[in-house]
Amino acid sequence: MKLPEFNRTLRQLVTLPIVLLVLLAGFVVWQILAATQAQRALDHSDQVTAQLQELQSQFIDQETGLRGYQLTSDPTMLEPWLGATAPIQTHFANLRGLVSDDDAQLQSVGDLEVRYSQWLGFANAVLNQDPASLNAAGMNQRGKVMMDGLRSATAAMLRHEQKLCAERSHHARWLQRRELVSLLVSALIVGIFLALFTRHHVHAVSASYLRRIAEIMQRSQELSESQQWFQTTLESIGDAVIACNNRGAVSFMNAVAERLTGWSLADAKGKPLAKVFHIINEQTREVCENPVEKVRRLKQVIGLANHTLLVARDGREYVIDDSAAPITSSGARMVGVVLVFRDVTEERRVQAALVASEKLAVAGRLAASIAHEIHNPLDSVANLHFLLEQEPDPEKRAEYLRLAQQELGRTMQISRTMLSLYREPRAPIQIDLRELIEGVLLLLDRRVQNQGIQLGTSIAGELVVEGFPAELRQVFTNLIVNAIEAAGPKGRVEIRLDRAESAELHGAGAIIEVADSGPGIAPEAAKKLFQPFFTTKGADGTGLGLWVSMGIVQKHGGAISLVESANQDLSGACIRVFLPARTLAEAGQPAA
Amino acid sequence: MSNPTILCIDDEALGLQIRKAVLERAGYQVLTAVDGATGLTLFRGHAIDGVVLDYYMPEMDGGAVAEAMRRERPAIPIMLLSAYINLPADVVSLVDVTLLKGEGPHELLEKLRLMLGSAASSGADEGHASGGAA
Repeated sequence: MKLPEFNRTLRQLVTLPIVLLVLLAGFVVWQILAATQAQRALDHSDQVTAQLQELQSQFIDQETGLRGYQLTSDPTMLEPWLGATAPIQTHFANLRGLVSDDDAQLQSVGDLEVRYSQWLGFANAVLNQDPASLNAAGMNQRGKVMMDGLRSATAAMLRHEQKLCAERSHHARWLQRRELVSLLVSALIVGIFLALFTRHHVHAVSASYLRRIAEIMQRSQELSESQQWFQTTLESIGDAVIACNNRGAVSFMNAVAERLTGWSLADAKGKPLAKVFHIINEQTREVCENPVEKVRRLKQVIGLANHTLLVARDGREYVIDDSAAPITSSGARMVGVVLVFRDVTEERRVQAALVASEKLAVAGRLAASIAHEIHNPLDSVANLHFLLEQEPDPEKRAEYLRLAQQELGRTMQISRTMLSLYREPRAPIQIDLRELIEGVLLLLDRRVQNQGIQLGTSIAGELVVEGFPAELRQVFTNLIVNAIEAAGPKGRVEIRLDRAESAELHGAGAIIEVADSGPGIAPEAAKKLFQPFFTTKGADGTGLGLWVSMGIVQKHGGAISLVESANQDLSGACIRVFLPARTLAEAGQPAA
Repeated sequence: MSNPTILCIDDEALGLQIRKAVLERAGYQVLTAVDGATGLTLFRGHAIDGVVLDYYMPEMDGGAVAEAMRRERPAIPIMLLSAYINLPADVVSLVDVTLLKGEGPHELLEKLRLMLGSAASSGADEGHASGGAA
């Protein structure tokens, strides 16, 4: 039963009995009115009867008075006569008023008045006569006849009225009986109808209520099962989850979150998030912005800042990677925030190890050519020393010394360049990119020569950027070695260094492009080019070079990408690096 | 035959000149070439008692040069000089002696002497054959 239907049933249950009772009351009132009217008619008959009886008695009084005067001629005997005259007129008037609704009776009253006035005429004639002739037999006879007529007319009227009265009384009794019976019958009908109606509707409502309760129980069970299901799911996942309400009080934590924060759910429940989830910046150790506040402000999913440290209740620290998302109700109102985070301390260590190992791999790649570069002049120096020992000619000795000096200078330059690959200043410094790239090319020179690579450089004057030179040397060594390997013997490598003007997406800086004449990079490989452990060199590559290079470039606030070479003749890959003039890099920050 | 002729091949021009001076001081006659192709031409055109060959060179490396020489005149001893420790095994097996650059002139002269001596004892007549018999 739906709510509108339920309301309609309730309305029916209330209004129908009221309407029926009002109808019943109306019926009763009608019955009472009818009975009252019958009673009134009865009273009316009584009044008419009383007037008639009164009139009859007055007639008798007048006749008696007249008789007395006739017998005695004593005027005092006429007192009743005189006393009755006025009341008789009044009674006639009353009677006419009372029977005005009954034509037969009205006519009888008229007839009675006529008879009375005739008798009155006779009586007046008697009174005006000589007292001596008062007892004339004829006159008395006439008077008696007239009076008898009057009396019998009155009696007839009385009888008529009494008959009416009897009829009315009978009618009134009948009405009473009818009233009683119809009241009983209608009350019974209404009662039965109401009982049946109410029973039906109450049954319907009650059945619907029971159904609804069963539904609610079912739903509540489902809800509880679903909650259990979600809880188990959240407990089983490897990431830490904390949910809190709109005010930022913790409402749920899974086991991983309990372990990382050091708070049990029982202890943390209701506590402010900032207390349980205490996060600080890894470097500055300043307290980070409360993620609940941030989500409330931005109303969207947020990833927390890099280098976030979670300080557990026992003071242990974990590097975490996390995100926070709003929990919205069906009305799109934010009802809470859910935080998902994980411990990346180990991951960070592994990454650092990979970066370090790649640095070593770059060194390894260069070691052979560096050894070669150093051993060649050293061999010459040793030979010159041998010659000097046995040379008596001062001119030749001076020449040998000069050559030895030259070869030593070359050795030192090589070793300085090599050291600069590893020695890093504490803060970013101004780097002349041309000098840096020329240094890298010096180390790779032998390799370029040996492979017969045709190396072209196009350098647009002096370009200075801020940064860490050793790391950038690592990047360009990687890119140029890759290009040499891709180009193969007698291939071509072009290095272009150009100024980049300030644009929408980046500030002013430098663009360095390294293009080769190799086979190029297949589209599917291009997608994975900057991912760790992706290599096209098989067992010879670590698959870390470009990944680490990207980390270094990004740390400098720059970008690295595979682009179409501007030079149509170079069919191979072209890697473009953008470096901003002012770096974003900070000292001591890992590259990836 | 008192002054054996040595062919020196190295792309490092300065190092090559100095090595030549050392060998001459030790009493050898020295021919020099700064790349493999020139070296092979000299090898074909001169009476040579031994070769001192650099390994790491552009265009044609020491291995390729040694292979060509062995094909033409296998009896002529070859010393492979290199700054590399890990030389390919097939190249090492091709030459008589290997020497790491920077070991010093005494080691060079000693190894050269031993190499020429053993070559002379195994086939002395071949050493001076002009134009080569192979």
